[in-house]
Amino acid sequence: MLKQTTAERVLDAAVSGGADFAEIFLEHTGRSQISVVNGKVEQAFGGVEHGAGIRLFFGSQAIYGYTNDTSEEGLIRTAKEAAAAARGAGGVQMGDFFHRRRPNINPIQRYPSGVAKQIKAELLLRASRAAFSYHDLITQTRCTAVDVEQSVLVVNTDGLWAEDKRVRSRFSIEAVASEGGQKQSGYTAPGGSVGFELYDKIDVEEEAERAAKTAVTMLGAQLCPAGRMPVVIDNGFGGVIFHEACGHGLEAAAVARNASVFAGKLGQQIASPLVTAIDDGTIANAWGSANMDDEGTPTRKNVLIEKGVLKTYLVDKLNGRKLGLASTGSARRESYRFAPSSRMSNTYIAAGNSRPEEIIAQTEYGLYAKQMGGGSVDPATGVFNFAVLEGYLIRNGKITTPVRGATLIGKGAEVLMKIDMVGNNPARAQGMCGSISGSIPTDVGQPMIRVSELTVGGRRG
Amino acid sequence: MDILFFEQELLRKAKEYGFTDSEVLFLGGKEFEVLVLEGSISHYENSNRQGIAFRGRICDREGSAYTEELTQEAILPLLREAAENAALTEPNDTVLFYGAEESYPEFAGYNTHLNALSAAERVEAAKRMEAAALDEENVAAIDYCVLRTHETEVALSNSRGLALSYRKNGVDAYVCAIAKDGQEIKTGDMFWAGNNWNEFDPVATGQEAARRAASLLGAQSVPSGSYEVVLDAEVMAALLQAFCGVFFAENAQKGFSLLGGKTGEKIAADCVCLRDDALLENGFASVPFDSEGTACRNKTVVENGVLRTLLYHRLSAAKEGVLSTGNGFRAGLKAPVKTACTNFYLEKGILELEQLLGALTYGLYITDVTGLHAGTNAVSGDFSLSAQGYLISYGEKVHPVEQITIAGNFYELLQKIMAVGIDLHFRKSGIGSPSVLVCDLDIAGM
Repeated sequence: MLKQTTAERVLDAAVSGGADFAEIFLEHTGRSQISVVNGKVEQAFGGVEHGAGIRLFFGSQAIYGYTNDTSEEGLIRTAKEAAAAARGAGGVQMGDFFHRRRPNINPIQRYPSGVAKQIKAELLLRASRAAFSYHDLITQTRCTAVDVEQSVLVVNTDGLWAEDKRVRSRFSIEAVASEGGQKQSGYTAPGGSVGFELYDKIDVEEEAERAAKTAVTMLGAQLCPAGRMPVVIDNGFGGVIFHEACGHGLEAAAVARNASVFAGKLGQQIASPLVTAIDDGTIANAWGSANMDDEGTPTRKNVLIEKGVLKTYLVDKLNGRKLGLASTGSARRESYRFAPSSRMSNTYIAAGNSRPEEIIAQTEYGLYAKQMGGGSVDPATGVFNFAVLEGYLIRNGKITTPVRGATLIGKGAEVLMKIDMVGNNPARAQGMCGSISGSIPTDVGQPMIRVSELTVGGRRG
Repeated sequence: MDILFFEQELLRKAKEYGFTDSEVLFLGGKEFEVLVLEGSISHYENSNRQGIAFRGRICDREGSAYTEELTQEAILPLLREAAENAALTEPNDTVLFYGAEESYPEFAGYNTHLNALSAAERVEAAKRMEAAALDEENVAAIDYCVLRTHETEVALSNSRGLALSYRKNGVDAYVCAIAKDGQEIKTGDMFWAGNNWNEFDPVATGQEAARRAASLLGAQSVPSGSYEVVLDAEVMAALLQAFCGVFFAENAQKGFSLLGGKTGEKIAADCVCLRDDALLENGFASVPFDSEGTACRNKTVVENGVLRTLLYHRLSAAKEGVLSTGNGFRAGLKAPVKTACTNFYLEKGILELEQLLGALTYGLYITDVTGLHAGTNAVSGDFSLSAQGYLISYGEKVHPVEQITIAGNFYELLQKIMAVGIDLHFRKSGIGSPSVLVCDLDIAGM
């Protein structure tokens, strides 16, 4: 992607202002997206993103610049502009580049760019038909297939020369059911660091039926009662609770500026002893996996919380400097347009011992959140909220009527302590996580868990 | 490669390739950003960006593609991508390419004074903003303090001789303060945007964020139930932003809005007037033309509660045999042309915020909501959002309120607005609202 002599000249220009570290991130990304609405191709587009980001460190200060002009002149101009912004006395001596190689953890069988768009569109049309034929109440569908092939190169003044190719594919369907002016929707969106073989692993018609089933079920749902109650959160995307309530607070970027409730708590009990939580960027072909992070550090499996005790933060180079911690291979960014920051990859609560049936049976009254929507959190206070897409009331240890319009709110630190049952049925699900370094693919995951008490926001008092 | 030359080459080669119509949208930009933490720069960014989005008609179908590689070699793969995308769609007779309109509005979104600002002046302002916030009582730390200046250039040309361009620039500043009292932590933020540097007061901006954070200390929840509520201007604007899509003809046609066929009908309380004004002076979303080359203007969407028009781009307009309202935009190179608002706002009334609060005998003043991307259902209009604010009794603040959710339905909310304040406030998106008094909203708390 880049000539070695060019890289040397650009890094030289970058450290000319006295920086003690400089890095080039070069990216070339092809993307294709097809959307089918109500059984017709509505949008098909694709193209190329191409550019480079140059980053300098002066101690714990960072300077970043990016450009689409990746010619040697363009890169040197960007490097010089960045260098001019800072005054330092440091400067570094560059050695030879070390070309880092390791076995590919995300082997690709069929590159999506080699598959005719017509074939992808055909899958979406099949999914749409399956949703409509599931039930007469299904009135709209929206199906999308996205695939991305991102080639990145990271070169830095430590002599690192590391390349990665990230291939990701994802299918999504939203089905809407309507009756008497009411509309409810169901959604699934499986994906992975895989090529077109994604469609060998999932059955788009089954996915469509699942989305349609949620929509139809929720159409018959009552408004969710509001108040504080025990909440059972199912496996898979239910892990978004941990992602939002805890994961973001463990990012070194929040910890370093003392804007996390978990700052200064390494080694302390921050969760119920039933909770072990892991961030693992090395799970083969998982949605949030990569061979290296966006600073070129190999990804790895990080145990964040072990039996409730905080073991590590998610650390990138810059915030690692501020905290005196080594990188955990957790620096990620949406594209060259963003400086990297500490982020999650595939984050999940590890399996416990309870059987799901037993968790429900031991809950006298509460909410069963079968499918979660997205959410957000204020890392400084840990206050989070997220939507329940499909929920049911639990009465006398049994799942009863479906309820709609519920949200869960609470404080991360408190909820972690209140997890009183952890199931033995772990699963992961895919999401897009938005934060300071852009929108990136991440897996969330957990077995079924129970929180002894949470505030449920609903429309019925 | 020179951008004008690239565009001409692309249009020429598109014709050779077999495109009967073609269009190139160029988006270029410069951005400067500085983040300050504890008096020194923690992040500093200086960037340049350019790329093009192409769309064309081939074999009676339309296809799109984009690239950030503006080189001779990038042209053919781009055209091939667009042609392959076109082949997936059904042939149609709706031609969405037009020559220039007779006239376009004057546009003054570029302030040359901003260019004269030195990097040091911008950094200094960010530092003063942080220091002012830190100086306030109970403020323990600054979560985020950023100042950004940006410049965008948009050019649109097509095979029918259209050639339009504009540029605009601006500054925005954002500070989020953390207030602490014992174990209790609260955040408060303040955002400022504009393109007149002289109007920016970094100290006042920092102080306001700090005061917002500190004023929430001592917050408690309230019992669940139905409450009379005043939604702060920022909160109402955030709700309008989450649900503005219900006013798009594109969504109504697809069944994703309940407002289809409701033009001329009463859909909101009498005091509700909504506008989409692309030409608003100093508006964050002001533009002279949209991404399809339609001249932009000021439209009345809802007048005294009656729906006057939905918003159209060329495709949705063609479906109903009407004219585009100039609301066809690409959110970026990667985004297809979709309907989008410009400066979309609830028109202000005559009451001061204090008067609205005075109308609450026992109610809530909601100053902040979170979870808009998750807790709203754009199809049904339902929302359920984490919120904070103050408990109000006879216009007086009783105590700050936290750990509650507000829940309701956007369509019903429009009917439940009892009074509209005078304090019209715009978000960075160009969507704005004054504070509003709402007769009842469901609150989940203790």
